[in-house]
Amino acid sequence: MKDKDNPMLEVRDLKVSYGAIRALLGISLKVTRGEIVCVIGANGAGKSTLMKAIMGEVKRESGEILFEGKPLPPIPYEVVSLGISLVPEGRRVFANLTVYENLLMGAFPRKDRENIKSDLEWVYSLFPRLKERNNQYAGTLSGGEQQMLSIARGLMSRPKILLLDEPSLGLAPLLVKEIFKELKRINQEGVTILLVEQNAKQALNISHRGYVLQTGRIVLEGSSRELLEKEEVVRSYLGETKASREDLKDRTR
Amino acid sequence: MESLIQQIINGLSLGSVYALIAVGYSLVYSILLFSNFAHGGFLVTGGYICYYMLTLTNNNIWVAGALSLIGAGLSAIATERLAYKPIREKTNLTLYLLIASMGMSIVIENFWVIMAGGRFRALPPVIPTYPIRIGSITISFFDILVFLITIAFLTGLEFFLQRTRWGLAIRAAAYDLRVAGLMGVNVNKLISLVFFLAGLLAAVSGIFLSVRYTLYPQLGFITIKAFVAAVVGGLGSLRGAVIGSLILGTAEMLTAGFISSQLRDVVVFGALVVTLLFKPTGLLGKAISEKV
Ligand SMILES: Nc1ncnc2c1ncn2[C@@H]1O[C@H](COP(=O)(O)OP(=O)(O)O)[C@@H](O)[C@H]1O
Ligand SMILES: [Mg+2]
Repeated sequence: MKDKDNPMLEVRDLKVSYGAIRALLGISLKVTRGEIVCVIGANGAGKSTLMKAIMGEVKRESGEILFEGKPLPPIPYEVVSLGISLVPEGRRVFANLTVYENLLMGAFPRKDRENIKSDLEWVYSLFPRLKERNNQYAGTLSGGEQQMLSIARGLMSRPKILLLDEPSLGLAPLLVKEIFKELKRINQEGVTILLVEQNAKQALNISHRGYVLQTGRIVLEGSSRELLEKEEVVRSYLGETKASREDLKDRTR
Repeated sequence: MESLIQQIINGLSLGSVYALIAVGYSLVYSILLFSNFAHGGFLVTGGYICYYMLTLTNNNIWVAGALSLIGAGLSAIATERLAYKPIREKTNLTLYLLIASMGMSIVIENFWVIMAGGRFRALPPVIPTYPIRIGSITISFFDILVFLITIAFLTGLEFFLQRTRWGLAIRAAAYDLRVAGLMGVNVNKLISLVFFLAGLLAAVSGIFLSVRYTLYPQLGFITIKAFVAAVVGGLGSLRGAVIGSLILGTAEMLTAGFISSQLRDVVVFGALVVTLLFKPTGLLGKAISEKV
């Protein structure tokens, strides 16, 4: 019962810098068990830095990151073994390995080796296309298939929480829809999700709550429904004014 | 005709020694993307451990050999922990690693100058080198042995890389070390494992070279030729390293046998120049674009 009220993942006043560049200026957020939470922000807002800080890939200047009430060690493999898995920006599948081997890599830290087979079936049921391409090199997959593989690989460690860094990046709108639908299903099957995105509308559509990140600060937070209602405000924080959107339309025409 | 076959067998034997060096060197390169110039030091360390253990064990090559491989593997791990790990934890620039490895190569060489002295030492005759006759061809038993043992070690390595969990992790890390870490691999442990394997294979070649020539602290210089073989075969590709080594060893012995012994090194470095001019990625090297 206690678990239900306490956040699964909590970030408190986190600051991260790269030398003189201050990427995160003290951000706080919570993810409760069972939720999909999104953090939306424009390019350079600090989304990837947040993910890397949780995984222990970048040094924290100050602040705390708690997982199930305990501070997270800043060591990636330990973070993974505690039940956190990151689907990195840009998919980053192992192009030199087959689809099957990529999935096995996802299961690397698992002690219960005997359950890996049934989890393979689970991720194949989520993404049937991966099963068809089982013995193909990941480098030969299309962008959408690589994203599916990257997510499936992230699930193979059986994480309690799945972090995703811009899964919609570089994908056609129809594919984004398909992948986000699967994320919702993954969540319904018991995986808590923290998603960072530039694609505000899609991310808010599938999530329960959202935070808006602007140049290293959280400037807005609320339930996804509320944030969707304030779409224009959210867009302005993303640097997308109506004018700039029309401008973009003009330029792409 | 007979001497041609003899030179080819000679060349394959020499190429095998290069292959043992080049594969370990390539393995390290594929993970950390720098040329480890201290690799020759691992070979020399293996040679000296074998030499001293032979005296201690009354010329038991099995025990001395095993201790040599393990010792050289551990010395490779120590080199990485001492000189490379502090650097790679601070920067992504591999140039610093390269320079540190040049330093470590000097450190290891001088360690053996101090410990063993600079003179040339012959290993006791524990590995048979007598000639054997097949029809009208005379070949050295040692050359055949070198070739077969090399095949055994490289097959073992291939089995490890293809069939085991850590082998898979090494292949994944060769493509993307960061993401291998995100998969829950202890990256420092993986790098130590890779250095251990590199040191172990280098020790095998160190023993062979000590028998073939003699053992001295600068013996590691021969790794330059194995590096060339790795580049000719395609940097980072283990198969390429083996093929490049066999080609280079054979070309070297054919040159020595039929043209002039003085020209053998010219052929080796000629192969490097030709590769860099016409196919910089080597015979089996991955195109850069594949890595993006
Ligand atoms: N390795 C790095 N070195 C220096 N600056 C960086 C590095 N990574 C990111 N930054 C900077 O930190 C800020 C946040 O970057 P990032 O977290 O990648 O943003 P996002 O993922 O939201 O696009 C940006 O200003 C970016 O230029
Ligand atoms: Mg990013």
